[in-house]
Amino acid sequence: MASLIHCPHCGSRPKEEFSIRGDASLVRPSPSASDEEWHRYVHIRDNPKGRYKEHWHHAFGCRRWLVVERDNFTHEVFSVTDAAEAAKAVQA
Amino acid sequence: MSAHRLSSGGLVDRSRSLGFSFDGLDLKGYEGDTLASALLANDQLLVGRSFKYHRPRGIVTAGSAEPNALVMIGKGARTEPNTRATVAELYNGLVATSQNRWPSLKYDIGSLNSLLSPFLGAGFYYKTFMWPAAFWEKVYEPFIRRAAGLGKAVMEADPDRYEKAWAHCDLLVVGAGPAGLMAALTAARAGLRVILADEGFRLGGSLLSERVSIGGTAPSTFVETILSELAGFPWVTLMPRTTVFGWYDDNVFGAVEKVQKHIALPSLDLPVERLWRIVARRAIMATGAEERPLVFGGNDRPGVMTAGAGRTYLNRYGVAVGRKVAVFTNGGSGYQAARDLAAQGIDVAAVIDGRPAAGDNLPNGIRLIQGGGVVKVKGRHRVGGLLVERSGFEESIDCDALLMSGGWSPIIHLACQRGAKPYWSDEKQAFLAPDVGRQLLPAGSASGLSGIGACLRDGVAKALSALASLDLTATSPDVPDVEGEYDASFAPLWYVPGARDKAFVDFQNDVHVKDLGLAQREGFGHIEHTKRYTTSGMATDQGKLGNVNATGIIAGMKGVSPAEIGVTTFRPFYTPVSFGAMAGTSRGEHSRPVRRSPLHGWAKKNGAVFVEAGLWHRSSWFPRDGEKGWRQSVDREVMNARTNVGLCDVSTLGKIEVFGNDAAEFLNRIYSNAFLKLPVGRARYGLMLREDGIVYDDGTTSRLAENHFFVTTTTAYAAEVMTHMEYCAQVLWPDLDVRFVSSSDQWAQMSLVGPKARLVLQQVVEDDVSNEAFPFLAVREVTLKGGLRARLFRISFSGELAYELAVPAGYGEAVADALMEAGRPHDICAYGVEALNVLRIEKGHVTHNELNGTTTPDDVGLGKMFSVNKPDFIGKRLSSRFGLTAADRLQLVGLKPVDKAKEIKAGAHLLKEGAAPSMTNDQGHVTSACFSPALGHPIALALLKSGRERFGEKIVVWDKLRGEEFVAEVCSPVFIDPDSQKLHQ
Amino acid sequence: MNYVHRHVLEDLITGFEGSSNPHHLAVLKRPTVFSVLARPGREADARNVLANLQGVSVRISGPGEWLVVSEDVAIDSLARTLQDSGTGLFDAVDQSDGRVVLRLSGPQVRKILAKCLAVDLHADAFPVGASAATQCCHAAANLARTDQDTFELVVSRSFAGFVFEEILEMGREFAMTAGFSAG
Repeated sequence: MASLIHCPHCGSRPKEEFSIRGDASLVRPSPSASDEEWHRYVHIRDNPKGRYKEHWHHAFGCRRWLVVERDNFTHEVFSVTDAAEAAKAVQA
Repeated sequence: MSAHRLSSGGLVDRSRSLGFSFDGLDLKGYEGDTLASALLANDQLLVGRSFKYHRPRGIVTAGSAEPNALVMIGKGARTEPNTRATVAELYNGLVATSQNRWPSLKYDIGSLNSLLSPFLGAGFYYKTFMWPAAFWEKVYEPFIRRAAGLGKAVMEADPDRYEKAWAHCDLLVVGAGPAGLMAALTAARAGLRVILADEGFRLGGSLLSERVSIGGTAPSTFVETILSELAGFPWVTLMPRTTVFGWYDDNVFGAVEKVQKHIALPSLDLPVERLWRIVARRAIMATGAEERPLVFGGNDRPGVMTAGAGRTYLNRYGVAVGRKVAVFTNGGSGYQAARDLAAQGIDVAAVIDGRPAAGDNLPNGIRLIQGGGVVKVKGRHRVGGLLVERSGFEESIDCDALLMSGGWSPIIHLACQRGAKPYWSDEKQAFLAPDVGRQLLPAGSASGLSGIGACLRDGVAKALSALASLDLTATSPDVPDVEGEYDASFAPLWYVPGARDKAFVDFQNDVHVKDLGLAQREGFGHIEHTKRYTTSGMATDQGKLGNVNATGIIAGMKGVSPAEIGVTTFRPFYTPVSFGAMAGTSRGEHSRPVRRSPLHGWAKKNGAVFVEAGLWHRSSWFPRDGEKGWRQSVDREVMNARTNVGLCDVSTLGKIEVFGNDAAEFLNRIYSNAFLKLPVGRARYGLMLREDGIVYDDGTTSRLAENHFFVTTTTAYAAEVMTHMEYCAQVLWPDLDVRFVSSSDQWAQMSLVGPKARLVLQQVVEDDVSNEAFPFLAVREVTLKGGLRARLFRISFSGELAYELAVPAGYGEAVADALMEAGRPHDICAYGVEALNVLRIEKGHVTHNELNGTTTPDDVGLGKMFSVNKPDFIGKRLSSRFGLTAADRLQLVGLKPVDKAKEIKAGAHLLKEGAAPSMTNDQGHVTSACFSPALGHPIALALLKSGRERFGEKIVVWDKLRGEEFVAEVCSPVFIDPDSQKLHQ
Repeated sequence: MNYVHRHVLEDLITGFEGSSNPHHLAVLKRPTVFSVLARPGREADARNVLANLQGVSVRISGPGEWLVVSEDVAIDSLARTLQDSGTGLFDAVDQSDGRVVLRLSGPQVRKILAKCLAVDLHADAFPVGASAATQCCHAAANLARTDQDTFELVVSRSFAGFVFEEILEMGREFAMTAGFSAG
């Protein structure tokens, strides 16, 4: 019936405004990385239960990609941040 | 007559008589009645037949847990089956019909099932209808469906409207009984946005059924006083007739408001039901408690109901359930019922108390049988007396109704709907709500309290607690004293031994005590297994009345505490919710958006036939008088574009404006081909890959200025590509200076195609569009004659000399009209997506038929668009994988049938001549096919193993689905103008 | 040649409402709408420049992204202003033909909008001047509160017919009327 995500830019919105892409911890390997690394990046996904970081796209709102840290069993949301900030932090 | 309306009393309006009918019988009730109270007032005890045994059934409760009194309400398309008569508000002209009986409620053939009942125990269906397997669909299932069941849905479309809406509040109070009213008042006085919702049509909950004195006034007066204060606060929303049915993530509650269910002919400007999603910072669950039936022989006889229900009919509706009423109880509720009946002058036959010693008093003259139990209820269609057993002695009691009380269960559904399990309290002999945190607090009898005063005080306390968790404070309202309360304590009595008739645990599903025993013996002992095996707790009431008794009985059988048995999982919805409410306005045409091109009106004017493409309605072809069938129109449109000039609406393409110092670098990384050196004023066809090396989408990208690009996508992938680009810019390369915005809707874009395209265009455009001034792949902002600014692109999907002209959407129709007018001397004609498709197949251009999620650039003949020189782009790294470079990959080819009359169909498979059809022998498949007017015979594009080496080979086109098999010749996918001379002319 | 400009809702609106009901859906006939995208690091400066423009209303569509809406300033004029004032700060894209501006008003307008979208419109949560990008009637929309009982929705042109009809459906309860804005 409903879940809400608190978008850092738009505020609290129903899940229907978002689309989920999945694991937000993946980092795109460099072109020179090994076949195995690329294979893992593109094809291999864990399917964890519990606390998990996911990429959500606020498609009907600010159109920003977000990192939603939540428990995918209880849907308890721990934090929602702009994905660009997280990505810059990783790259820095 | 046994059940009857008292001459006075109750909260019904006796000055407003309402006519209604039940099974064709015309009856009268009053405003303020439910259908159930009105039926009882007319002594209609028999209201339905049970699910399996077709036993006569009557009204058991006065609320939403009612398992028996399910009727069809309404006529024709408005007929609603399985409506609980106990919550259906009476209105003038209400038509009710009983269910699950034939030929009539009184003489029901199905009741013969009762005689077969030794064979109809739990698990009967699983054991009996096993074989032969073929019988299941044809014999067993239709038989079971006819014999068992509830009401029937009508086949007509629902004529009424439904809506959905959102609501937001600081505090949602569910239930407007004593605890809920005080909670709402406390929060409202503190200025909080409060929503008070209650399923009843009159707010007040159990207070409306009580005879106590609250602060010196009647309970109904007390309720009115509070409600009028609440109604005066603009920040308070009172929602009667609203059932909060579910608690969801993030403290969102689902509720359904019955807006016009109490109106014979609903207004079409209002919904009949409205589904609410209520976002609440805090919520209080003041949902009350459910009285448990006692489980004894014949406890389902019409005229047997819970003591609380009997008191509600008596006190709220002024209806006595009988003239001589017996009470069977294990606690104070039964005594209070006897006192209320006596106070109204109703004869109380006896109070039978299962406990050896009672802790309560009865009015003088009422007989008390302690330590006794009912073992049989006489009569068939109504109570005709009781057989009571005490200490081995039996006694007949003369009565015409029986009120029963097996104790109370707090209504804790909402708190248990998100995975938390209720816990058993030995003290309360009930399952209590788990602690689910500060967002949802149980209050009043829902939290296990008893007594009106205690509930009033708890409502205040829980509201203060909810406020405190929001860092808010409030003053406690004065809680008035309550006089005349009774002792509601009770002792466990799960099952009354010595039953001489079936003792039902779940009335609605006809589950009796023996079924529970059988389930234990046959290995279905876990409470969830027992539910599925016996059906106890299934269907519309979901065991609201029976589940706790079932747990108690199973615990007794196993000799353990009910805590060890537990209860089955609580899930939304608390009560049934109609599909109409869940759909809201999203029905038929309203179920999904329709998108219209800015040239829709132009296409319509020109006679277009439209086709749904995703959300879009696109012009498909433009038939002319005398043309027989779409093919004739499409052939004409194609030939005209190849020989003269055609105009096609391409506005639905996705369009994205890209800006930034790194815009070129960004595009270079998301396309497989190079973009850094694209000159300003030039367009380039681009191919996007997925990271796994497979083609994602294609389109043209134009450089409008050094740091300003204009990207187009396919219609189908417009939204996806935008999302993909946002992911790349924000997540993969957040340091790039690039930003973009969709301008898909800003432009009406039309494709002007054919050898005479330039002649037509030059009449409309001020700028020089000669081949020299505006060569192939040129892009420029131009001015139309008259001053309108537009974007012009010289790009071609058809293989002809072609331009795409984009004008602000509002001018689309006018400019298209002007082009048609300018083109008239050149025999211009409009063409649609069918002709567009034929033109591109003839030219060997790919669409998502070929870019189907399995093909690489090389597969579709675009290997040269894979830039090996660029250090990195999406999809580069994994493109070199073994498998993506294998020699026998499917490659794009053309096909021509050897027998030119044979029509190739997309989806057909390709086989070597003489090879048997099999997965191993499969050589590929047809992706796109059409009749080529340019060539005069059918052609196709196909993906074929090592296809580019096999031009000239004969191959079998095998289409099992359509029963076709013939030979075709493999050829180049480019059927016309292989050197693309036309593009540059 | 003089080209006739057509509003996408012309087929759905029979004419100017002679007498609109208290609950009314006004369609702006020729609004000026621009998307403005701030350059990275210049968001605050860009916002300041936009805030000082005359005759326009600035709506948030995302971090560093706005819709600039005007009933009075012509497209060409606003394009020049944005071009002149935006150098080094932001890029602007004309969306005047790609967006439709719907103005809903009436004492119960919040009740109508509650059937269309999920944003809390209480004056404490969404005061006059507030704006938000959100989903409205299954479509992407930008919502702004322009007065106590007046809201404006900016929706994509291709979705506008659908959204327009949905809003009128939700407004039936209050006999909502519709017409092109007389202004």
